[in-house]
Amino acid sequence: MSTKTRWERLKAEWAPRIEEWKFILRRIGESPLAILGIAIIVFFVIMAFMAPILAPPQGRNPFLMPNDQELASLTPQPVPPTTRHIFGTIISNQVAGQYDIYYGCIWGTISAFRIGIMVVAIALIIGITIGTISAYYGGILDEILMRFTDIIIAFPGLVLAMALVIAFPTIIPLDITQIILILSAVLAIIFAAFKPERKFVLPTTIVLVVTLYLYLNSPIILSINLSKLDKVLISLSLVGWPSYARLIRGEVLRVKNEDYVEAAKAAGCSDLRIITKHILPNTIYPLLIVSTLDIGSIVLTAAALSFLGIGAEPNYADWGNIISMSRNWVSTPELLVQFYHTFLIPGIFITLFVLGWNLLGDALRDVLDPMIRRR
Amino acid sequence: MTSKSSTRLKDSLVEVKNLVVRFYTYAGIVEALEGVDLHIRPGEILGLVGETGCGKSVTSFSILQLVPPPGKIEGGEIYFNKDGKVLNIRKLDEDSIRKIRGKEIAMVFQEPRAYLNPVYTVETQIGEALLTHRREEFLKRAIETLEKTGKGSSFERKVYERMLKKPKSIMTRIMAKFCSKKTLKEEIRKEVIDLLRNVEIADPERVAKMYPFELSGGMAQRAVIAMALSCNPMMLIADEPTTNLDVTVQAQILKLIRQLRERFKSSILYITHDLGVIAELCDRVAVMYAGRVVELADVYELFKDPLHPYTKALLESIPRPGQEFKSIPGTVPNLINPPKGCRFHERCQYEMEICRKVKPEFIEVKKDHFVACHLYGGSK
Amino acid sequence: MSSLIFVRNLKKYYPIIGGIFKRRIASVKAVDGVTLAIRRRETFGLVGESGCGKTTLGKTILRLLKPDGGNIFFGAPQEVINEIIELEKTNPKSKRLKKMREEYDLATFSGEKLLELRRRMQIVYQDPTTSLDPRMLVKDIVAEPLVAQGIAKGEEAKKLVLEILERVGLGEQHLYRFPHEFSGGQRQRIAIARALVCRPEFVVLDEPTSSVDVSVRAQLLNLFKDLQKEFDLTYLFISHDLSVVECISDRVAIMYLGKIVELAPTYKIFKSPLHPYAQALIESVPIPDPTKRKERAPLSGEVPSPVNPPAGCRFHPRCPLAMDVCKKEEPPMTEIEKDHYVACFALMKR
Repeated sequence: MSTKTRWERLKAEWAPRIEEWKFILRRIGESPLAILGIAIIVFFVIMAFMAPILAPPQGRNPFLMPNDQELASLTPQPVPPTTRHIFGTIISNQVAGQYDIYYGCIWGTISAFRIGIMVVAIALIIGITIGTISAYYGGILDEILMRFTDIIIAFPGLVLAMALVIAFPTIIPLDITQIILILSAVLAIIFAAFKPERKFVLPTTIVLVVTLYLYLNSPIILSINLSKLDKVLISLSLVGWPSYARLIRGEVLRVKNEDYVEAAKAAGCSDLRIITKHILPNTIYPLLIVSTLDIGSIVLTAAALSFLGIGAEPNYADWGNIISMSRNWVSTPELLVQFYHTFLIPGIFITLFVLGWNLLGDALRDVLDPMIRRR
Repeated sequence: MTSKSSTRLKDSLVEVKNLVVRFYTYAGIVEALEGVDLHIRPGEILGLVGETGCGKSVTSFSILQLVPPPGKIEGGEIYFNKDGKVLNIRKLDEDSIRKIRGKEIAMVFQEPRAYLNPVYTVETQIGEALLTHRREEFLKRAIETLEKTGKGSSFERKVYERMLKKPKSIMTRIMAKFCSKKTLKEEIRKEVIDLLRNVEIADPERVAKMYPFELSGGMAQRAVIAMALSCNPMMLIADEPTTNLDVTVQAQILKLIRQLRERFKSSILYITHDLGVIAELCDRVAVMYAGRVVELADVYELFKDPLHPYTKALLESIPRPGQEFKSIPGTVPNLINPPKGCRFHERCQYEMEICRKVKPEFIEVKKDHFVACHLYGGSK
Repeated sequence: MSSLIFVRNLKKYYPIIGGIFKRRIASVKAVDGVTLAIRRRETFGLVGESGCGKTTLGKTILRLLKPDGGNIFFGAPQEVINEIIELEKTNPKSKRLKKMREEYDLATFSGEKLLELRRRMQIVYQDPTTSLDPRMLVKDIVAEPLVAQGIAKGEEAKKLVLEILERVGLGEQHLYRFPHEFSGGQRQRIAIARALVCRPEFVVLDEPTSSVDVSVRAQLLNLFKDLQKEFDLTYLFISHDLSVVECISDRVAIMYLGKIVELAPTYKIFKSPLHPYAQALIESVPIPDPTKRKERAPLSGEVPSPVNPPAGCRFHPRCPLAMDVCKKEEPPMTEIEKDHYVACFALMKR
């Protein structure tokens, strides 16, 4: 037995995976479109980080576009690009004032990243959990979960998202018993799925019963306030997870019957260990690819919701919001040309952002496919 | 070299000389074949034996110019002696080689159901092969039948005659689309059932209407053999056709192949890694290692007096009850960076200095017994 | 003599699900009443053609599959086995029987008891490419049984892993690599290391040399023999390659459509097989010696589907010795000669 230092051992452990990553990066580097996609995203990331410098916030909430009062008193119409407002200004039909589009676009980058990444992350977590449990255990559990998934898919995504946004209460009051109830329910599902030893079942049941009793009369302790954008986030996640669930279910069904999964059973692995250590690492690749593509499309959907007026607050710095405001000013072809800056500039931002993610997703797919096949 | 080649060429059906094939992959250039020499005589069964990765399948694909990309044939010649006329397969264009594939040289693969289209019945697929290569014959037969029985319209007859005379004109095609071509289909169907009966499929009418997934391994392989033999090829290339089959089914198929050789007098290039099958079936044997043919001899001669060290080691590694298992030390070399000189030198117990540097020539050491080894003067 | 493994009347059926309500409309009778005993330290060969149920039998004995009938005893004393058999015949519903079965009969095990079993019984699969998780390092693959069963972890596990890797001919430099970086023979060694790392008593070898080259085959077979002596192992060697089975097994059982047709010491069964199917099978194997070529009459027909096996003796439609009784009743396994069992009415008559 050699006596390696801790650092050396750690390096040896990770070396083969690092080799893999190097291979992936090399292959991505060979495709000019992939590099373009990454460049676009990096460009936006830098813009997002530099937002406070590029467009200094005025007022408490940096995500609200600042109002140029001076200009507002001069003209009632949006002003095309000038030296003072590089991209021009826009006027909302709900809140008075001239709003700087440049500011809106820069801070809109942060909003776009936030929406894209958070929605995809939440949808992935929900989708992977449900899809994996459904596929691994099969039987009637699979039937029920998949029919439930089917019901959600059956709705047109945008329409369902709109309905959820509107229906979601702005303020969700939770008291301590409800929190415990929710936690216990989640725990109960996990225990039922992974069948741990008997000693856990009894305490959980006791806790559930006690909280049910307390639930009947207790004061409100916690209030969760949801901003409009948060509601958009949650609804898009709830609408988006079924496709991930379906996708990973297919992959898990394929991997479930492979020899190495049975070998793990023969070695004595518990179900949970098999799922986390064997099945998930081998099934997650297609999801990674789809989710990078989805980040772009989620931003588009959120922009659509803002355009329809269901998204963010009136003068929130969000690309879709700006385009929504511009809707009022471009009713005729002449106005379209006159106020081009109100929709064209945020439109270009959206297009570039989605394009960047799409190119990256395509590049990942091209690279990861042969890598999987190489094995 | 030329004098040897011309004498061989006169009595071989197919001759492969110094074939070089390379695969351009992401991991590097794989030197799959580095000078393969083979010749197959008319009416004989030549066995091609070797381990996985030695290049037997690549050789067989090369004969039909079917090497898949990223592979490329980069050197050597492949001669096909078609009724006295010697064709250089490497120099043929796509159209000419397509006429040979399936008709003069047919191929049978390891997993028959992978090479049958799953959405067409057996009848349709064998029928397609017949129509492609024996079109005129069947058109003439259909016309004859029409004349004899008097059934079928005169329109149908006109269509057949047009298809014979002007097969490519647009008018012909339009007319053919409107015609039910019942008689032609019936002729083909009769032939298909005959072919299936020849390969000992019981109840061929029923099997003809089946889809590939409904067939068992043995039946599917027979169907594929029937398809391959449908055009009376001069040579059949069989790439491990019985490896995936049970041993009792394999015995049936081997017997079938022997019978078919008797009947049709075709040559067969039989590729396998099973020395038992070679001993049972073949007239002559070629042994391949890491992209070269290292020995080629009559089967009795090879088993009695193997010359190349690899052949000797291979025969010794056959498991015999009561004895220790003998293995060949070392492993098959990586063909991306193959050893210089003779590719077997690292595992050879007779390794000499010259083996590390110079590639041995493939020469006739005894009568009709070829070896590529420096022990037998391969350095000429 | 007490055997290590005793399997009695084992049955394993696979349901065929169909219809709107996804009910079982038929069953594939993969293993349909198999009785055999495997002695300590022996290599028991199990041969048959595809679909005969040999792999299913191996996996059911290991309890990777749950049997649909029959008993499996692992290291149980002979008196216990006799008592259980007696009780099943005379008083199948007795409480004592239930208790004894829960204690000794693997067919009833689950949960904790099953986990204990895993340490004592292991399996090496046919294809090392699919039996090793492509995303795990060799070190983790081989350490998995130790970690999953709670025997060792971390540094201690790594020590044991290294030990067993060296025994199978690999080294420390192979620990931190992925399976796809190795050749087929090396991968199979990794699989063997994984099976032996927790020092089992019984190992099922499911066609372990079928996916590797001829030259590597001999190396692996020598390795199996050495490891058997060193670790005191008992093997169940499943294969369709009769020449390999002939060289490595002490006794051989031949299966056909879910049942054993003949069971005898190796040299006997290969020199003079008695059952017509065994004869046909051994005859069909091509001999690597052209001077021994002979005109064989191969077995006609094909193996029927295990969903609807023929009534009576499964082999009767293809059997040259078939009699009337063969079509109606199933022949029992009879000891025709010492330690040589055959299931055939035609042979019983003599």
